[in-house]
Amino acid sequence: MTTVASPVAALINELSKLPTIGPKTAARLVFYLLNRPRNEAQSLAEAILAVKDNVRFCSICYSLAESDPCEFCTDERRDATTICVVAEAKDVYAIERAGAFKGRYHVLGGLISPMDGIGPAQLHLRELIERIGREAPREIILATNPNAEGEATALYLSRLLQPLGVVVTRLAYGLPIGGDLDYADEMTIAKALEGRRTLSY
Amino acid sequence: MYLRRLGFSNFRNYSELNLEPSTGLNLFVGANAQGKSNLLEGIAMLGTGKSFRTARDSDAVRAGCERAVLSGEATSRAGNVNLACAIDRGPRGTRKTYTVNASPVRYANYLGRIRVVTFVPADLKLAAGTPGARRAFLNIALAQTEPRYYYELARYRKALQQKNAVLRGAVEPDDELLLVYERTLLAAGTEIMLARVRLVDELAHGAAAAHARFAPDEALEVRYEPNVVFDAATPEAIAAAFEARMRHAAESERTRKSALVGPHRDDVGLSLDGVSLAAYGSQGQQRTAVLALKVAEYGVMRERSNEAPLLLLDDVLSELDETRAGAFLGEIGDYEQAFVTATHLPPGLSGARVARVQNARVLEWAAC
Repeated sequence: MTTVASPVAALINELSKLPTIGPKTAARLVFYLLNRPRNEAQSLAEAILAVKDNVRFCSICYSLAESDPCEFCTDERRDATTICVVAEAKDVYAIERAGAFKGRYHVLGGLISPMDGIGPAQLHLRELIERIGREAPREIILATNPNAEGEATALYLSRLLQPLGVVVTRLAYGLPIGGDLDYADEMTIAKALEGRRTLSY
Repeated sequence: MYLRRLGFSNFRNYSELNLEPSTGLNLFVGANAQGKSNLLEGIAMLGTGKSFRTARDSDAVRAGCERAVLSGEATSRAGNVNLACAIDRGPRGTRKTYTVNASPVRYANYLGRIRVVTFVPADLKLAAGTPGARRAFLNIALAQTEPRYYYELARYRKALQQKNAVLRGAVEPDDELLLVYERTLLAAGTEIMLARVRLVDELAHGAAAAHARFAPDEALEVRYEPNVVFDAATPEAIAAAFEARMRHAAESERTRKSALVGPHRDDVGLSLDGVSLAAYGSQGQQRTAVLALKVAEYGVMRERSNEAPLLLLDDVLSELDETRAGAFLGEIGDYEQAFVTATHLPPGLSGARVARVQNARVLEWAAC
């Protein structure tokens, strides 16, 4: 790296700190940017700064917002009796893309993982309980990932929420739409069998 | 099953290797430190995704390289399959990725496509070694023959790490959180114990029979020694026993800050005429017992999948005297394909294709 001009090396270094980007990809991005007009680099740099300066976390649901409370919490058309609990703010966008959910959200800010120093106290769990007391929703949907941490967090939450008299549900496990049974792994098939439903029309 | 094609790229001391092994016996002869063990390690790792020599995957990548790729084409009862295991050494650690017929798959879906039984000199210490080595012996056989086993084992290990972190005080003490992990430990642990009790049962028969032919005067007994003792090998009985032990140990687990009961503390007991081999067996007796156990492993793997796994013998024949080596190969019987390394041509091997391994190159196939 000693033969590369130092601003180039510096940008490669910065980019390779990003998730999923290694030094080779970082170098490719830098040389791509070098060949683009100045205004493109400027708008990229400004967009990055704008994210840091103008985006905050909603003080009710902890999703990303430009205003506080966020658009999900203030939208009267959304169903306030159903709260969908997700791990990260990006999960809100995944569910929104589906367009099938019209309730409110609650972002935990991570998943319980004691070996990484993340316990219930490090997440927005207390805030969720206060919120349930305040807003008296009918149903809490636990939409954490179906991996070890997501399962543990959902299980912990369900025990915590049970005494509050609210219905707690969990997203279904199953086969991906348009998928091929042949390619699904054994555990997914086993879970899909467990969660099978009567077919009716 | 057998390998039709084998390829290494930047694996260990090999920069590039392409082989077309034959069915039957493939013998690799060469001086030490030329790449014989690496060759067998690569085949085992192509099958199991794991090295039998190191826990550090980064060691498998050739010095100065970022990526090692193991690839192969195997023919089995399920047809032809192309497998590849890539090991990437990056600034954030080492990652492995797997493909089956050029489609990326998760490890759980990769395991078991090529099944291997390996026998290396270190295995000769299995009888006298640590319980961990004997658990690893069970795990590798089970992971290759029961798709669900690896999933349960991974789930168990993760929950165990989390429970230990809570006990250690990595987060605020929380009994509810402990219960969450204990629920997973109970469910996964019960499946692990069930699988192990079945496997050891199968192994015990095969090992006793093989041992009776190696050493007719002494009877070998192989016994599963679970950390959680249960009355009957049923899911209900095992789960109940495990839960009771866990409740009973709860106090001392908190004091010792570590999970003390469960299949992570299992063992397999080997004894001759009722006397523990680890404590009282001679080295010769221990070796004979391990040979019998390996014969049994090969038999169980063949029986469970209805076809012969690949047999990988790394320098182990030269560790054995001629009688034992001959008897071992005789017991294994009809293997479909075997890969054997040795420093010199072992006497009494017939029908072999012999290749010389020199400085990370495999030279001249010849019929023996």
